[in-house]
Amino acid sequence: MLDVTDLTCPMTWVRTKLELERIAPGEALEVRCREGEALENVPRSAAEAGHDVQVTGAVVRIVRR
Amino acid sequence: MSERREFFRRVAAAAVGAEPPPPDPWLERYSRQLVLPEWSEAAQRALGDASVLVVGAGALGSPVATYLAGAGVGRLGIVDDGDVELSNLHRQHLHFTPDVGVPKAHSAAAKLGFLNPDVVIEPYPASFTAAMVDGQDLVVDCTDSFEARYAVNAACCAAGVALVEAGVIGTSGLVMAILPGETACYRCAFPQAPPPGATPTCAQAGVLGPAAGVVGSLQALEALKLLAGLPGVLTDAFLQIDLAAHDFLRVAVRRRDDCPDCAGA
Repeated sequence: MLDVTDLTCPMTWVRTKLELERIAPGEALEVRCREGEALENVPRSAAEAGHDVQVTGAVVRIVRR
Repeated sequence: MSERREFFRRVAAAAVGAEPPPPDPWLERYSRQLVLPEWSEAAQRALGDASVLVVGAGALGSPVATYLAGAGVGRLGIVDDGDVELSNLHRQHLHFTPDVGVPKAHSAAAKLGFLNPDVVIEPYPASFTAAMVDGQDLVVDCTDSFEARYAVNAACCAAGVALVEAGVIGTSGLVMAILPGETACYRCAFPQAPPPGATPTCAQAGVLGPAAGVVGSLQALEALKLLAGLPGVLTDAFLQIDLAAHDFLRVAVRRRDDCPDCAGA
């Protein structure tokens, strides 16, 4: 679980993106985000990058494409 | 002074609760390029492992070296045998008025060290020699004459080192990326220098600072694409830039079988 609750945009997505680069396609990364801006932008950025995204509460689950 | 500042910083932090952990400086410094879809940690590490030689620390060399140092190139050699002159300052933004008389290589290296202390800056206050190309991953030619560009092109072709060429005069310029042995070289595009007197030199014709900034920035961009392995490098072509008319023309170029510089590369 990657926790980016102490970061702000765009560092939230930078950290998430770099973690995604470390996992294999098809593998999942869970990212805990702060309510508000991060919880809106991280899933949106992930979807724009073509990954599968699911949000449950404050946790964004991203399956690498 | 720094102790006082630290004391007040702690007082302020205590007042608002626990401080967030400090951001990773590496991530923070490169965050605005790491965030790009076409960039990656691997691209950033590749840049950090790269050695680049910038030949000329003038109008083109200033933006080129600034952007390459800022982007995080690991080792940056700066070659220039000249001293800073008052007439350079309008277009050579790495040099300031107090630098007049200082070797350009040293003046540039000092600013680049402030810009990014992660980069190893190697100033060479000397004329370019072909041996300088050995061991480089990329050379960026920021010289200001046909003879100098041919010399850098020949050295890179002989050593098989990637090269980004450029030239600027007035409000016009040219940029070309070269992979020796794979794509057309500078001499393939321009087999012969114009006869003496046919083209004004930089000193005769003058250059508007922002024009050099545009052309040098394009040159730096091609260098970053090559170093990071990004697509869309300006090879087998040159970009002809006319900033008075806002014209950017991409001119295709083919390798020449009889090119004296790259035929054997």
